Formats: sequence, structure tokens, C-alpha cells
Amino acid sequence: MSATAFPARTASKNPPESSVSGPGVWCSVGLLYLLGAASFWLLISLGLGFLDSLKFHAPGLLAADSFWTYGRVHAAAGSALLYGFGVQAALGMGLWMLCRLGRTALAAPAVVVLGTFFWNFAVTVGVIAILCGNNTGFENFEMPAVCAPTLFVSYAMIGICGLLTFHERREGPLYPSQWFIVGSLFWFPWIFSTAAILLLYMPVHGVLQAAIAWWYGHNLNMVFLGFAGLASTFYFIPKLLGRPLHSRQLAALAFWTLAVFGSWGGIPDGAPLPSWIASIGVVGTVLMAIPLLAIADNFYHTARHDLNTLDDNATLRFTYVGLLFLFIAVAQQIVGALPNVSAITSLSWFGVAQKELFHLGFFAMTVFGAMYYIVPRLVGAGPDAWCPKLAKSHFYLSLAGILISYLSLLVAGIEQGIMLADPGYSFVQVLHGTLMPLRISTLGDLLFLVGTIAFLVNCAQVVGTQCCQWCCKAIKEAK
Amino acid sequence: MVLQGDKGGQMNSGPLLFLGLFAAMVCSWLGFIMGPQLQIGNLPQTNTVVVGDALSQTYPVALSGEAHQGEEVYRANGCAACHTQMVRPRDMGPDISHGWGIRRSVAEDYLFEQPVLLGSQRVGPDLSNYGRRSDINGILMRLYDPRSIVPDSIMPSYRFLFQTRKIEGAPASDALVLPEKDAPEPGYEIIPRPQARALAAYLLNLRQDGYLYEAPPPALPKTNAPPKTNAVAATAVKK
Repeated sequence: MSATAFPARTASKNPPESSVSGPGVWCSVGLLYLLGAASFWLLISLGLGFLDSLKFHAPGLLAADSFWTYGRVHAAAGSALLYGFGVQAALGMGLWMLCRLGRTALAAPAVVVLGTFFWNFAVTVGVIAILCGNNTGFENFEMPAVCAPTLFVSYAMIGICGLLTFHERREGPLYPSQWFIVGSLFWFPWIFSTAAILLLYMPVHGVLQAAIAWWYGHNLNMVFLGFAGLASTFYFIPKLLGRPLHSRQLAALAFWTLAVFGSWGGIPDGAPLPSWIASIGVVGTVLMAIPLLAIADNFYHTARHDLNTLDDNATLRFTYVGLLFLFIAVAQQIVGALPNVSAITSLSWFGVAQKELFHLGFFAMTVFGAMYYIVPRLVGAGPDAWCPKLAKSHFYLSLAGILISYLSLLVAGIEQGIMLADPGYSFVQVLHGTLMPLRISTLGDLLFLVGTIAFLVNCAQVVGTQCCQWCCKAIKEAK
Repeated sequence: MVLQGDKGGQMNSGPLLFLGLFAAMVCSWLGFIMGPQLQIGNLPQTNTVVVGDALSQTYPVALSGEAHQGEEVYRANGCAACHTQMVRPRDMGPDISHGWGIRRSVAEDYLFEQPVLLGSQRVGPDLSNYGRRSDINGILMRLYDPRSIVPDSIMPSYRFLFQTRKIEGAPASDALVLPEKDAPEPGYEIIPRPQARALAAYLLNLRQDGYLYEAPPPALPKTNAPPKTNAVAATAVKK
């Protein structure tokens, strides 16, 4: 198998930005807006999640006010994470990579800014509405019906700019990251419109609603966030190592099998639906082993000579860790889908642990890595603009946070499953058994939150310093 | 193989990429949205299977107005974040042996739910049949202070569903009778707001106890003893 995937570009020691002029002001503003707003929502979501986690220590905390009750805060944190952070970070990274890989400027950046504004407006309304008690009741799709049209239109505004950028590319052949970005750009509106129409505007009858909500959530996480995160992994690992991607065919295999099998599943075994639905879901989830192994093999062969040089490059470190956590999260999902295992682990903390690892361990870490690379370039600062101490503490805090959180939730899930399977234990005894790991997970949430604050402070410093320089320069020129 | 990287190689066409993705999406959509819709999208009400001398009944029946309002309270406060409403079959989980149901849940059970709140995680117990194992006072007490019933519970208290009110004249008949640590100041009483009553009505309504064709009663153990109903009748005659 020859390894010649884009030697000219991704394998080049001279990164492509040297050959194109810097991003225009509007392009920078649009992408910074997307990525900045995403980070802000991540902070909100982590803060709400931490508050929720505290309620396992003190169930009476803020109990007098309906606004802060567990169920509402839980839904608000989830929506802020998926729509505030996930979608915007995916779009921000995706548009930037489309510009870079296509060697073209962002198409209609003002529309991106406008779309981002409306998107954030809708998410703000949605999250506040959830805290006021207006959630839809469907997991991963909690924001009320009134937000859906604005979300759809503002996504379309940004997404169409992305497709135009893709269309205007000056580089003919496509790099795998571009497939993944285009995939994520299309996937979201398809699933979102299906869910909005069939759950909110013309709701289907009975238990099918739950089936559609599960399908939507599974697609949103596995395919949309999976595509968006992997686009970044495929871009940064070869680029920063200065090596070509091992195999373009394996990347293509991973891409298509992820699109096909990743979109099957999400329905728990034993759900009150015809059993063939859950069964093909199990088959799809197990077949996710194909893209998983293809990705693992591809990156192992790309990076195997450089594994001993896990150097100080923040982007590379975060991307590596993200990839590792993706592998664990998907492997756990495959194991959890097997009927004998799911009888024990399904509907327990096991699934929560898996989701947390996927969202924070894989997706957020990958986004952090990408942002360490992208943000200085957007504001025209050098890559050493970051405060290295803050970046380092961010990395270790996030890593420790996600590990503590994930492992404790995983232990809680397995313990809960095993104890529940024994009818000798009452539910209260089971609860007691899981309480300690649940409380330990709060510490992980806190560490991740502190790490994210360190990241945001660092970001603000990079962007702020550069803005100051611009202002000073502009004032001097005016004089 | 020289298929990668070179111009004119595979997967360099935007439109083909789009078509491939669209085909993958359509497959998933047909399987998970269209297929189930064709099969169970228009389920009608059905009749319960006759067990013993019980009469066959129409199942399920629509929620009362108050119970429907209660479902809205259940949805608004995110109860489904911690409570599922689905009983898995005996061979797919321990739900039945924990007493959460007498049979597995089936699609018919949710015909009148809007929205359908199955949940996906059990921080607390399953509530599919909560109405079968609870009463209104227990529910209201649990909502006000879960730890007055189960000391180790981590369920939040829903005090905002209740009102502390000065007793004027005789105490209200629906005032909560609370243990000392929760009791209001002397001269005051705690009464449930309408939302709490609606939620209680909804929870009491949660019962999946009609045996259906898809969810038949458990098979009787093989035995030579006379059927139970006859045995009961025989003792009645003797008396």
C-alpha cells in the first residue's frame, strides 16, 4: 500500500498557511465568534453539570427553586454542551479547515457572523426556557419547539457558507478531513429536521417518539460529532508530525462505515418496540468496530515512528488524547451493546460514563487541540502566543478531570448493573453502592471545569494582546 | 495500489460525496423512522387478554385531564432524567424481579402519552407501574421531602410544588402530615399546589397491568393441581 496521501500538503514541512495570505478580518471575526461562543457554552455546560453533580452530595441544594432543580439543570447542561459547544465548535473547526485545505477564503463571512449570532440567540433562549420548565422531554433534543426554526435557519446560513467555501476550493483532490467536514455539515440538518418535524410539529404516535429521539441522539453524537472531531484528528496528526497519512483507503473505509453503521442504533435492548429495531441497532453498533479499527490502524501507522516524541505541542497532545478516548468510548459502546452485557449495563451509569468520555474526552479534547492551533492564526499571532504554563495545566487538569469522572462513573455503572441483577438487593442498597463513585466524579467535573477556565483565560490573553496591538497600530496610523 | 492521493483518484468529487452520504442517511432513515412507523405508527387501542375470571377491557385508556397536566409537570421538571418508564422482558434485565412490573412494556402502553417519556437512565427506580405500588399521600410526602420516607434517598425535594400557608380556622384537609424535622412553624401548614396534585394524579395513573397479546401473563407452572380459581370456588362452597 503506497502512502502518498497528499504529500504536497499535509506531509509538507511547510504548512499551507505560508502559501496563502492571512485570513480576512471578517473571516477571522466569524470563526473566532463561532469558537469563542462554543468555549463559552462549554463553560456554562460544565458549570451546570458541576452544580448537578453537587446535588449528589446535598440533594437539598437549591431545592426551593424550580429553576435549579436537578432535572432541569441536567437538560440545560446537555443542551448547552451539544448545541452551544458541540455544533458551534464543529462548525468553527470545519470552516477553518475547509478554508485551509481548499486554499481559499471563507465564503460570505458576514453571513457566518449573522448565522452565529442567531444560533447563539436561539440556544440562549432554549437553555433559559429549559430552566423555566419548557423542555421537550426528549433527551438530546430538549430545547423547545420555538427555538427549532431559528436553529435550523442559522445553521443553514453557516452551513451554506461552508459548502460554498468547499465549492470554491482551489485544490482539486480532497483530503479525508474534507469528507468528514462535508459529512457533518449535511448530517446535522437531516437529523435535526427529522426530529423537529416528527417530535415537535407533527408528533408521531406513541412510543415511536422515543425511538426517534434515541435515533436522533445517537446520530448527533456518533455521526455528527464523530465526523467533526475526526476531521480535526485527520488534519492535525499528519500535519503536525510532518508525515503523510498512512492510508487514504482506510480513511475512506472509516468514513463510509461510520456514516452507515454509526447512524444505526441508540435504542436500548428490551425497549418497548418491535425487537428487530433494537436488533439492527445492536448489529450497527457492533459493526462500528470496522471504522474504529480502520482509524486506529491508520493513525498507528501514521504516527508510530513519532510516538516517543510526544512533545510540548499542545495541539498534538490534545488530539492524541482525544483519539485515544474516542477509541475507548466507541469500544465501550460496542461492548455495552452486546445482549448479555446490555442486560446488566443498559440504563445504568455505564452509558453516562460512555457519553461523558465521548463528549469531553474525545470531542472537547480534540476541539481544544484544534483551537490551540487555530486561534493564534486567526488573530495573526505567532504559535507561541499561548502562555505555556496555562496550556500545560489545562492539559493535565482536563486529562485528570476526564479520567476521574469517567472511571468513577464507569465503576458506578458496573456496580449498579451487577447489584441490580441480583434481586436480593433493594434499589436503595444499589443506590448506596453507587453513591461513593458518583461523588468522586464531582471532583473530575471540577478539575475539567478549572482546566477549561485556564484555557479561556489563555485564549482571552492571546486574542486580547493581539487586539491591543491592532488598536495601538490603528491609533498611530490615525495620528 | 496507487489509488490514494493522486489527482483523479477516488473520492474527489463533491457531488458523489453528497450522494453517498445521502444514501447512508436514507438507509438509516428508512430503517429507524419509516419502518417502525409503518409497523406500529397507527396502533389502535386493544383489548386485554382474559386472565382467570376478569373481563376483557379496552387498553389503554386516555389520561384524565389532571393526569395529563401532571405529565406536563413530570416533563417540565425533567423527572425522566432519573426515572425510566419501561419494563424490560425477564431475559433482558432484572426489572420484573425488582417488582417494577408484572410484564414487559410494549408499544401499546404508550398510546396516550404525549410526549413519551421513557427516559434512558435509572438514578431512581423505574416508574412504569408506580401507580400500582403507591398512594397519594406517599407520593406527596416523597415530593416534599424524599428523605422522610427513604432516609438515604438522593432524590431532590420538590418544595416549590407546595405552599406554606397560615392556618385560618380549621387546618386544611390536604395539609401534609410531616415528621418533626420537616414540620412548619406552629400555626402554619403545608399544602400541595395544583401542580403537585396533578403530578400525583399522573403518577397514580402509571400502571401497565393489562395483559396483552404481545405481553401475555406468565405461563403457569406445569402441575396436576386443580386450577386456582376452582380451588377458591371449592373452599367457598365448603364454607
